Amino acid sequence: MSIRVDGIRKTFGGFAALDDISLNVPQGELVGLLGPSGSGKTTLLRIIAGLEKPDRGRVLFNERDVTTLDVRRRKVGFVFQQYALFRHLTVADNVAFGLRMLPRAERPGRDAIRARVRELLELVQMDRMAGRYPAQLSGGQKQRVALARALALEPEVLLLDEPFGALDAKVRKELRRWLRHLHEQISVTSVFVTHDQEEAMEVSDQVVVMSQGHIEQIGSPLTVYEQPASRFVFDFLGHINALEGLYDGAVWQSGEARLRLNTHGACPDGALTLYLRPHEATLAKAPADHAHLPVKLAARSVFGGTVTLELEPRGWGAGVLEVELDRDTWAALAPGRDDTLYLLPRSLQTVTCDGDLGPRVAPA
Amino acid sequence: MSSANRPHKWHQWTLVAAAFAAVVVLLVLPLVVIFAEAFAQGAGMVVDNLTSSDMIGAIQLTVIVALITVPVNLIFGVLLAWCVTRYEFRGRKLLSTLIDIPFAMSPVVAGLCYLVVYGGQGLVGQWLDDRFDVQLMFALPGMVMVTVFVTCPYVARVLIPLMQSQGTEEEEAAILLGASGWQAFWYVTLPRIRWALLYGVVLTNARAVGEFGAVSVVSGLIRGETLTLPLLIQMLNEDYNTVGAFTAAGLLGAMALVTLLLKTVLEWRQSSKLNAAEETLT
Repeated sequence: MSIRVDGIRKTFGGFAALDDISLNVPQGELVGLLGPSGSGKTTLLRIIAGLEKPDRGRVLFNERDVTTLDVRRRKVGFVFQQYALFRHLTVADNVAFGLRMLPRAERPGRDAIRARVRELLELVQMDRMAGRYPAQLSGGQKQRVALARALALEPEVLLLDEPFGALDAKVRKELRRWLRHLHEQISVTSVFVTHDQEEAMEVSDQVVVMSQGHIEQIGSPLTVYEQPASRFVFDFLGHINALEGLYDGAVWQSGEARLRLNTHGACPDGALTLYLRPHEATLAKAPADHAHLPVKLAARSVFGGTVTLELEPRGWGAGVLEVELDRDTWAALAPGRDDTLYLLPRSLQTVTCDGDLGPRVAPA
Repeated sequence: MSSANRPHKWHQWTLVAAAFAAVVVLLVLPLVVIFAEAFAQGAGMVVDNLTSSDMIGAIQLTVIVALITVPVNLIFGVLLAWCVTRYEFRGRKLLSTLIDIPFAMSPVVAGLCYLVVYGGQGLVGQWLDDRFDVQLMFALPGMVMVTVFVTCPYVARVLIPLMQSQGTEEEEAAILLGASGWQAFWYVTLPRIRWALLYGVVLTNARAVGEFGAVSVVSGLIRGETLTLPLLIQMLNEDYNTVGAFTAAGLLGAMALVTLLLKTVLEWRQSSKLNAAEETLT
């Protein structure tokens, strides 16, 4: 079932939580709503579910207007961040709940319900926990039960509100791979909410980046990362270093730092901020012709294949810079304790003085 | 969880001993005296008094009042708690404050208010008398009305904090799974609040059985007709029937002990539930 959201507006006591939101989710896709807290992503999800009523706009399932349709009749599966399992019921009874609530004419028989519950618990690998109570389960197990419960009525739309938000990092990673895999198996149109960039990037077919009740960008994970539509998107997806300075049409300068940039006239002379992603630079012991950015090593952390360095600018800029090198590059560099190192950016995102994104540039 | 220590210095022990002494002198001793006085002239007198028509009438009336009051306030309390914790509306805080009026007001005043409004001279009372020939005051209906008034906050006051802390997500989950509002209440909300609800009922019942002030104003004190146990005690005492008064008091005392026992059991059930819920979160 496809989902279409058309011109949705929702205010809470004068505060616009959502302002003219339109969005298309094609049949069978897994879409991630990504944004910081307060961006309106959960409100949008609750409006799609029918738990909140929009002030204006429509929600359509398969082009059928369901805006005024009661929650019970929308037949959506919904997974809460805090699981919302019925704590007085066993795992099996939790999963069977939706089936038991069906009107008598549609309700399957006792054995059919039992068989369906077993099948669902096998799907989420919880069949051995059927007799347990929610209090006896770990967070990851609870979330899988909640998912089985949401799938019991074979919904054509599955909505997940920060499904892994309350879990620790390792379980999170495991569960989101598993969700991706499950989605390939059952291919139900799904929308999930997250504030975790990595999660949105890894799980979604399409990412919807939201901020302050607006949609900033809709696109595949690769698109939103490589071609961010706004400064907010660039800022929000992954760590960035902001380098502030002045540009004279050929050279960018800030204190001791100099960088030769050819922007083909796209950036006017004057204040120019450069955004540098941690993995888009390397370090050398000597400055290059086009780049003179002296720094001092402040801290390093080695984890997996990358070395994350914290660098203090020497004689320019203000804050600490973060750069990631692979292990071999780091080993080859082998700097001494107080050596001055030189930052060599490979690619930079320009931000003009009016706050808009300029072109991406490479120093040369 | 508990940060309390065992007392280990002499003055700490003295404090504990003083607390115990106060409880014994102020609470336990009077209760013991009630039973002692009741049986002072032998068990035969107690049986005689228990089987007197006044006593049986009073017991029946007390039970009837409680039997009507408790279900009324059970439903009223659940409705009120539901409204206050599940809906967001203008005047929600006000409603939640108004529930406490019976706590804040002296029962005698409540009785007088009802007498003024529903009594023979009162606005509503006169109208009911003229149109339907119904008399509310100085009869069972009036006594039930004031008892309902005096005991109405108990169930709601026990439920509101619990339902607030439980939140609405489980009910939302039930509705999303196709449950009707009634099904969500019956299968999800009620099982989660049942111990608290029972606790509220026990408190309501204890208060309904023991209510004196408000009931005495509206009962008219008609012997054999509108005397509940607390009112009968007062009357027997004024008649210098010590054994009778203390026998009736003993009955109420026994009910209090049963209530106390039930309350302890229910509190223990609730706290073990809460602990289980806390363990889930960690």
